[in-house]
Amino acid sequence: MKKLRSILGNSGAVLTLALAALTPFLLYGWFQTAIGAAGLHIDPTYSGGQVSHVIERASYRIVVNRPVPRRSPLQRIGPFVQVAWTPAASLPAHLSDDLDLDGDGTPDVRVAIDTHNLVVDITPLTARYRPMHSQGVTSFSALIARVNDSLVVRIPLD
Amino acid sequence: MFSRTMMQPGCAAKLAAAATLVFMVALFFQMMRTLQTYRWRRYFFVALGFLFPVGFIWQLFALRGSMSIPVERMLSGDTPFCFLAIPMMILPAAIARTVIFPGSILPTASNPHAIAAMVALWFAATLVLGKGWCSYGCFFGGIEEGFAAIPKKPRIRRIDPRWRWMPWAVLAAIVLLSAATLEPVYCMWLCPFKAVTEYPAVRSFETAVQMGIFITLFLGLVVALPLLTKKRTQCSFLCPFGAFQSIFNKTGAFDIRIDQSQCKPCLLCEKACPTLSITPEAVRAGKPLLSCMKCGACVDACVRDAAVWHIKGTDVGASSERARLMQLYSAWAFAVMFGGSIIAATLEKLFGLMV
Repeated sequence: MKKLRSILGNSGAVLTLALAALTPFLLYGWFQTAIGAAGLHIDPTYSGGQVSHVIERASYRIVVNRPVPRRSPLQRIGPFVQVAWTPAASLPAHLSDDLDLDGDGTPDVRVAIDTHNLVVDITPLTARYRPMHSQGVTSFSALIARVNDSLVVRIPLD
Repeated sequence: MFSRTMMQPGCAAKLAAAATLVFMVALFFQMMRTLQTYRWRRYFFVALGFLFPVGFIWQLFALRGSMSIPVERMLSGDTPFCFLAIPMMILPAAIARTVIFPGSILPTASNPHAIAAMVALWFAATLVLGKGWCSYGCFFGGIEEGFAAIPKKPRIRRIDPRWRWMPWAVLAAIVLLSAATLEPVYCMWLCPFKAVTEYPAVRSFETAVQMGIFITLFLGLVVALPLLTKKRTQCSFLCPFGAFQSIFNKTGAFDIRIDQSQCKPCLLCEKACPTLSITPEAVRAGKPLLSCMKCGACVDACVRDAAVWHIKGTDVGASSERARLMQLYSAWAFAVMFGGSIIAATLEKLFGLMV
């Protein structure tokens, strides 16, 4: 038994050495690929959630994401729905849109944006959405920000 | 002549690589020659600890002209991922397959420090080093080890042993709170190293409080207390990742043992241990506590060769030098590849300044 343990211990030590040598050439890449393929995704609080539908306008598109609910009673970031106007460069200085966020064919919010000063006014047309007057980032669930080539607005939900 | 050489394309990179290689080889040579591990490893580790923030901050300024990360960059998944967030990710990832961090899963042009890359690196390091990550891989530990090395003698000698439980308490608290709030709680509220890497842009009272906590913890646990105690106090009293990594001390092939047939006990090893992992009880039990990070300080300090490197399953003291060498080859290979590349990258930037 003692000899077996010794053999196993020494084998473990040799294996550790082999792993150290293989890490930069094989293991690191393998592990990275495996983790990348594990089906993990960034929490919707940060990513904004999955795209629900796209509304086409003459010179820009409005990408509406699925609502991100509060998933834990202790979560500080409230529920919201993320809407992105893209490309940001094609947006007029002031825009106003009545948006159907849930895809039922009727507008849910009226959005007025000063695209230069990043000021947004949200007027809810249905009870599910909360009014918002915001300049820049107030919180993760109520904000207007320029993100890459889009103008992102997060509309708080009730 | 030197500046003309430096003007050649890629010259700073070659010089940095050469300097790093000479540095790492010289340290390894000294480890072999003197049979001491801790003393020479510390030069590497402190260099890594002080050069990493320089290179990282440099990169942040090149990317966005500031150390602070605005929410806009978080929304676009550009927050560099740090291994300290790994324990907080586990529960949400296991339950809902979501990662509660505003980064990107795979590397992108604007965020090379992606989650999959860092987790892969941590996993490989854990297989090779186990808790030894804290001695050879952690690019933050070197900062406090550097400050701890400055005074000749500690001003504070007696530390209540109950503080050793603090990292475990912090680990349990942040894992549960992060799963409950779906936010990386430690990164947002407690990480002292935000003060020297990257922090949320101060735009509200909350972010100002967070920044105050980061700076206070950094100055207290990473600068002041190591100077007063000659210990790695942030690692010993706060770091939840260190506690998490301690679990892998059970899985590694190597550990440190105290040979009872040689031990007096003089407790020089207890004084030398930078993380309070050796107690009189641990000496009597013949092995350090689970928090031992295999730095080798106790082995170097022991005048009777009672504290020894050990391959698990073998007799204590029977082949301690072989165990030291095998552990060292593995750890140093990792240190050269990972830490060495960080040192070289920062030196390249600094050498480039000389043009």
